Amino acid sequence: MTITAGIGYTLLAIGPSLSLFISVISKKPFLILTVLSSTLLWLISLIVLSGLWRAFLPLKSTTWWPYALILLTSIAFQEALRLLFWRLYKRLEDILDAFADKIAKPRLLLTDKLLIALAGGLGHGVAHAVFFCISLLTPAFGPATYFVEKCSKIPFFLVSAIIALAFVTIHTFSMVIAFNGYAEGNKVDQLFVPVVHLVAGMMTLVNFASGGCVIGIPLLYLVMMLTLFHCGKMVWRRLTDNPNRLVNSL
Amino acid sequence: MFMVVILVSILDNSTSSDSSSVQVTSIATIAYTESSSDSFWEKLKGALLNSLAFVAVVTVVTFILVLLFYLRCTKFLKYYMGFSAFVVLGFMGGEVALFLIEKFSIPIDCITFLVVLFNFATVGVLAVFMSKMAILVTQGYLVVIGVLVAYWFTFLPEWTTWVLLVAMALYDLAAVLLPVGPLRLLVELAISRDEDIPALVYEARPVINHDSASRGGVVQRRVWRERRNVGNDSTNNLNNESNSNSNVNANLVLESNSTCGTLLSAGTGQIDTRLIIAEEVRNLDGDAEVTVPLIQDRMNVQLQGQEEVVSSENLMLEGMGLGSSGAIKLGLGDFIFYSVLVGRAAMYDYMTVYACYLAIIAGLGVTLMLLAFCQKALPALPVSIMLGVLFYLLTRLLLEIFIVQCSLNLLMF
Repeated sequence: MTITAGIGYTLLAIGPSLSLFISVISKKPFLILTVLSSTLLWLISLIVLSGLWRAFLPLKSTTWWPYALILLTSIAFQEALRLLFWRLYKRLEDILDAFADKIAKPRLLLTDKLLIALAGGLGHGVAHAVFFCISLLTPAFGPATYFVEKCSKIPFFLVSAIIALAFVTIHTFSMVIAFNGYAEGNKVDQLFVPVVHLVAGMMTLVNFASGGCVIGIPLLYLVMMLTLFHCGKMVWRRLTDNPNRLVNSL
Repeated sequence: MFMVVILVSILDNSTSSDSSSVQVTSIATIAYTESSSDSFWEKLKGALLNSLAFVAVVTVVTFILVLLFYLRCTKFLKYYMGFSAFVVLGFMGGEVALFLIEKFSIPIDCITFLVVLFNFATVGVLAVFMSKMAILVTQGYLVVIGVLVAYWFTFLPEWTTWVLLVAMALYDLAAVLLPVGPLRLLVELAISRDEDIPALVYEARPVINHDSASRGGVVQRRVWRERRNVGNDSTNNLNNESNSNSNVNANLVLESNSTCGTLLSAGTGQIDTRLIIAEEVRNLDGDAEVTVPLIQDRMNVQLQGQEEVVSSENLMLEGMGLGSSGAIKLGLGDFIFYSVLVGRAAMYDYMTVYACYLAIIAGLGVTLMLLAFCQKALPALPVSIMLGVLFYLLTRLLLEIFIVQCSLNLLMF
């Protein structure tokens, strides 16, 4: 609507991640690297997906099942990529630990691992926000705004910013849960993340119905709260379980 | 990074105000002036011809530069650089300022404008060539020069720009790696004589590691360099050589004022790789959170060819380059071409900008890693430009429709 509104939408979508970035991640260059590489990975996955689906787009149908198919394939692909990311990270961790032993410095601590997972998740989340929300915000800096019929009470930019915020949070923290689940071999955690991703994606399908976003978005936020809560519980448990590895400085 | 953003916003600014197509006749369009009604093949042929002409001119000029350097006419080179910087800042800066004044209707009169512009240009030349100024000023001016040159490049017709970028990347590859390449000759001459290469180099803020008094500085003798070269249109020729280790994130990381294990680079020693170094050593009392010094340090060890660790106290002072205050140095030419890439992407849509931006950073990372493995002069352009162009095409053709489709139906994942 104006520059003010444009900046407002941008901050709405990536404000929390920005503050997370500045406070936690910008202090360690390796985390910045992790954020960048996970963003790149997410972008590549998006490009591959769009390449796959290019032949069928633009979809003219108003039914919901082609979109459901798109969602399903995309989410499956991205979860597979998360697994790959984990494998890469495992190898990196081994290299780092070996190097640390060689120069007689301490190995990677628990908080370090959690931080790296957080950085990876943040990269994914920021990529989502940038590509799904912010890159479409360019008209919002101008003098007008845009409404979608499906959700005609609030401007399109606002809706997409709100949804992006929810997804950023979900991505960021589900990476922490996922890494922890893989590390501990905890099946519940391992399954939790893809399921949450799928559920969140399907929630947005609800938006497809007219006026559906009134139901869809609060449900999405419910899922986000669930993720946050679960992550918090898990981290708390890990940190208090082995007090001798606890480090109080980040 | 910052400058790319500025450039993009300026560009957007003027593309909206420039409805008439400004055809700049320069060396780059000598062979062919593109008009949008030509067919695909015509455009491609024309663009190829243009780029060939451009690369040819750049090659010739680089050889002349090498010759001059060989004949030890360094004074002349320095004056020439100063002169070209002045012209860039003065004329190009003036034109850009005129555009901006027109766009924003700023009330300013001729005489004030001229005086201000002249002062600006003079201070710029001084800042760039006498490195005793406040580092922010020097950095700022280098950024401005880069932005201006890149901005003017975007006036070229679209196909020409893309093909030119690819051609420059290939030329870069050839000029540095082939034994007969001019830049390799230049670099070897400079090494063998232990002399300064007159060049436009961006010097990041010197980083001193306050915590570890025990860890001295580690300096490596950089025997390789990344070459940055910028050819230009008929009015200017900025030939920039630079030393390796471009670190796009230097500003970001430096500003965070981290307590990361920084390696003090003295002289030319660029120990960049804040990107890759992840050492955080807090030699504080008691609680130390120490993360493992990462891959970079291993590379440092490799480079040195010694088995000692980062905390070695080797302080070899190398008198090359402009960084007498011991800082990380980056070259300007590469920045310019990256900015051209991103600027062109901005003329289409912002999504391409983000994609290209990520691609360039990834390319930089890859180049740095290659540097550490190969340990000799490597061109910085090819990897990033190729990745950037690739991502631009992919995003424009594939990604955008996908995302717009999904977002308009409020479907996200």
